[in-house]
Amino acid sequence: MKRLKTVADLEKLRAEAVAQRNAKDWLEVCTGSGCLACGAEAVADALDGEIEKRGLGHKVGVRRTGCHGFCEGAPLVVIHPSDTCYTKVQPKHAAPIIDGLGAGEGPVRDLLYLDEGTGERIERLQDIPFYRHQERVLLGDNVRIDSSSILDYIAVGGYGALAKALSEMTPESVLHEVKKANLRGRGGGGFPAGRKWETTRNAPGEPKYVIVNADEGDPGAFMDGSLLQGNPHSVLEGLILGAYAIGAAEGFIYVRQEYPLARKSIEIAIEQAREYGLLGRNILGSGFSFDVVIHRGAGAFVSGESSALMSAIEGRVGEPRPKYVHTSEKGLWGKPSCLNNVETWATVPHIIDKGADWFRGMGTEGSKGTKIFSLVGKVKNTGLVEVSMGIPLRDIIFKIGGGVPDGKSFKAVQTGGPSGGVIPAALLDLPVDFDELTKAGSMMGSGGMIVMDENTCMVDTARYYTSFLAHESCGKCVPCREGIRQMLAILDNIAAGKGREGDLEILEELAEFMQVASLCALGQSAPNPVASTLKYFREEYEEHIRHGRCRAGICTALIAYEIDQEKCQACGACQRNCPVDAIDKSEAGVFTIVHEKCIKCGACLKACPAKFGAVVKVPAGAVLRKSAEEIGLAGTSR
Amino acid sequence: MNSRRMTVIGPEASPPLDVLIIDDDAASAEACRRILEEDGYRVAVAGDGEQGLRMAEADNPSVVLLDPEIAGVAGFEALGRLAEAASATVPVVMTGKGTVDSAVESMRLGAHDYLAKPVNPERLLESVRRGVELGRLRRRAHAPRMKQDLLLQALALLEEAYSLGMGKRTLLEELAGLETEAKRHAQSLGRTWDKGRAIAEIREDLLQADAIMRSYGFRKNALIQTLLDVQEKFHWLPRHILEWISGRLDVPLREIYGIVHFYEAFSLEPRGRHSFQVCTGTACHVRGSSELLSRVSAALGLQPGQTDSRLTYTLETVHCLGCCALAPVIQIDSDYYRDPDRSRLDKIIKTMQREEAQA
Amino acid sequence: MDTIRLEIDGRAVEGAPGTTVLQAARSAGIEIPTLCDDDRLEPFGACRMCMVEIETAGGRKRVVASCVYPIEEGLRVWTKTETVVKIRKMVIELLWPSWQTYAEEYGVTSSRFQTGIADCSQCGRCLRYCAEIKKENRIYFKGRGVERRPALVEGAELSCRSCGECFTLCNSGWIASRY
Repeated sequence: MKRLKTVADLEKLRAEAVAQRNAKDWLEVCTGSGCLACGAEAVADALDGEIEKRGLGHKVGVRRTGCHGFCEGAPLVVIHPSDTCYTKVQPKHAAPIIDGLGAGEGPVRDLLYLDEGTGERIERLQDIPFYRHQERVLLGDNVRIDSSSILDYIAVGGYGALAKALSEMTPESVLHEVKKANLRGRGGGGFPAGRKWETTRNAPGEPKYVIVNADEGDPGAFMDGSLLQGNPHSVLEGLILGAYAIGAAEGFIYVRQEYPLARKSIEIAIEQAREYGLLGRNILGSGFSFDVVIHRGAGAFVSGESSALMSAIEGRVGEPRPKYVHTSEKGLWGKPSCLNNVETWATVPHIIDKGADWFRGMGTEGSKGTKIFSLVGKVKNTGLVEVSMGIPLRDIIFKIGGGVPDGKSFKAVQTGGPSGGVIPAALLDLPVDFDELTKAGSMMGSGGMIVMDENTCMVDTARYYTSFLAHESCGKCVPCREGIRQMLAILDNIAAGKGREGDLEILEELAEFMQVASLCALGQSAPNPVASTLKYFREEYEEHIRHGRCRAGICTALIAYEIDQEKCQACGACQRNCPVDAIDKSEAGVFTIVHEKCIKCGACLKACPAKFGAVVKVPAGAVLRKSAEEIGLAGTSR
Repeated sequence: MNSRRMTVIGPEASPPLDVLIIDDDAASAEACRRILEEDGYRVAVAGDGEQGLRMAEADNPSVVLLDPEIAGVAGFEALGRLAEAASATVPVVMTGKGTVDSAVESMRLGAHDYLAKPVNPERLLESVRRGVELGRLRRRAHAPRMKQDLLLQALALLEEAYSLGMGKRTLLEELAGLETEAKRHAQSLGRTWDKGRAIAEIREDLLQADAIMRSYGFRKNALIQTLLDVQEKFHWLPRHILEWISGRLDVPLREIYGIVHFYEAFSLEPRGRHSFQVCTGTACHVRGSSELLSRVSAALGLQPGQTDSRLTYTLETVHCLGCCALAPVIQIDSDYYRDPDRSRLDKIIKTMQREEAQA
Repeated sequence: MDTIRLEIDGRAVEGAPGTTVLQAARSAGIEIPTLCDDDRLEPFGACRMCMVEIETAGGRKRVVASCVYPIEEGLRVWTKTETVVKIRKMVIELLWPSWQTYAEEYGVTSSRFQTGIADCSQCGRCLRYCAEIKKENRIYFKGRGVERRPALVEGAELSCRSCGECFTLCNSGWIASRY
């Protein structure tokens, strides 16, 4: 009989689960999307095969876990209990890894993380700089849990907070604890979750709903997807706690269509929670009943906006509603509905378990606790990081992220996705919290952090986000639709070298107009990428307009590719890689680019062996001089 | 064990044979026979062409599985003669020397489907299931003595229609509407208009759409979920299915089209069998996804959003695949590649072309 | 139900609960310019021409679309401040030259923007009328973002009753220019 009828049943099951886990050594293979893409499944299969071959099944097990975070080292394998962390593991390494277990031959040195600074190999996960500077409250369990096993979650303390709430706390005291913790919504604006819960709880109208927003639409952000995939029960437990506090009997999980793995993971979790009586009628014998339905998104960034998301759940076009009533009062089918994102819900069990004071011990005055970021772009250690609020940007990018690769210099970091902005190098010591980022003209958003180096063009960055929004806006209100359309037209001109004096002032006027007049938060924040790049990198815009020059060498209309006739060794790599046959052999026997055919895809530059360095980027129209250095571009190699 | 067979309404002489296999490769024929018999079909095997054609004429099977490379009758001749000998029979071609040309030729000569050897059991069963049903419909149309049975069924339908307050004219209009849709659908897929086959297909589609709606209890608010399932099943949203859903759920088509055009996941055109998805998320963008996209676009000869005329490849962009460490990344079918160069892309495309030619 | 008292442009105005600021203003003879509004249809809130400045009884100041903002006790409304005039001018300029009803009043004679790429203001009156009043459901918004356009439902060309009433509703003549 699986169904848990009391808290005591749960604790008994927990003791069994812990005992089972402790009986074996575990090889924890990361099967997050990044590692899967690098062949993690084959690694896990190879380890399974090796264990079976040696008949070690009673002593060693393979656990397929969610995202560990350190995507740069993919595929990752961590040994439990030694915490040995292996990076870039291939199936052929299965045998040596198992040889190295326990009192065996010791860790496989070649697979350990290599610290470039000291030249030393680091064995344990928590000693690797990427992990050492983090505070992994939510992500820590990802390494230790097979998301398809509710027993794994229970073994690490899962559903303890729910048991505590249902047996020792009233709904009011759960709400009070969350308010006291000052948990702010991790999905965007940072609205205090406790206050939102209270509004829904007190709003007239029954039934009330609780909703998980897993429509993580920011390009370059994958925190929520990874959390939902790796530790679905933590989100579910948070949601049940919220429902208890608010008085909801039904919940929805809105999952982005592009996350099939996360969806599967939460489906399994819901199924198991029901089997064990942690979801459904009379949870743990408390008399409290609650159940959840999954709703798949169909691909629309604007569906992350609360009223649009609720329209989508109702089966309609996901347009924001033009109402001045919050969804927490009148949401799904006009009923009070409390919406928080994945990370916010997953934080709740920790607050209930360890108390609001523990949570308030981390972070800054206005922003408590930890925050997960997806650290990507031009940074050495790409991955998911979780840090205490208030940590300086510099620490995230340089201590954890390892700085900018290939000897390039740091230029800016973009936070908050299409609703956020860029933060320049001068503000690197900015403590990262909701209010500081907003003050700097960006925002926390859901936690995307895209590092940019000298080869990133700020006009192009603004244009990238604006063109993203041009297609992702719902198009309903004039300020957002027409404002974005005209902004994009101006940015296109500037990027094409056709910018005019006065363009920047019009951009600023449009930005201000859209911020005030747009119907929903998407439109109001849509000008942020333009406004913030203008604020910090105005001179780059002016260079494009006045001199037709893109210093980063990105705006294709302003650059060309050339082959240095003296450096070319006629190996033909560029010609073989050119997709449009735009490379000819010159009379001298070396290669040249036929500019009329060239689509500037950069394949030739990529193909040209580094030791020759014959293919270079030059400003459009410039005649190739003797060497690339004289052209004066910031970077000419890949 | 004949759960897959259609229930037949009314008195109909059951055909003595469901499937006749004409193949001189005894091992292959046996394998097919076993698969089909396990599923409850009555199967006979002929080892050469002449014998096969005689058996087809005598037994009037619903489906003939034919290898055109068979000894005894040259090339595609058997296919042509089969159409004369047993006009209600549905021919399905299976061959080990699959080329695009032979597939086209078989279809031109009236083959209902085309299977590559060694035959995939699932494909075989699916093809035979459709063929048997089509054969049943054809037989009804071909045999004059069946006309009275058909009339009886029609009367039963009319009786039901009147009791629902629906006139004969409305019923016929609706049917004619569906037939027009069937014609349009067949043409949109570049097929010739074969009434029996198109109507059988469209009916099958509607049954599947019904099954999907049923799984959501025919709830209106599950409209988006329903459409997602249809998209997943068919890889696009054929118009006749949308109209069907509109009628079933009593949702105006305007709302359905509003949704379909609003969300990224839906396609109103058939997609290619292979998908190339270039990630244009921010991490990929700053690491050069636009260069990757122009490379892929040039290699396939397609712009983003396009599918080639043979429905082989679809090129798309996607906002974030969630594996930013690989940036810039492309997902080709279910595999991820980090910034592949031209030769790598060419190799992948060549492999696909080879497989297509075989299939 | 009780009557709600508020102040619009310094004048005391009353209204029933559920009344919008726009309706309350009109009933008091105060004109607020609109584009997507049509008193036969559900408020749409898309054009933002009717934006006004408000201050709630609690002292919170905002700029809101008056067609969807319900009146509340003690609300103070200003319908023609510098901020809202700026918004209206920008709306006219962004839709230039297709919709010029208030151009003269607001002194807009040309646009600084690339014109002609936004020929339909997307007020949605044609399709809302078709659905809400005629119950015909022949027109819908196709696509999203800058590509969004009103369109006839695929296959509805023949079954449209051709009442032609949407033509007369079209502010910018977009429908007429196509059929």
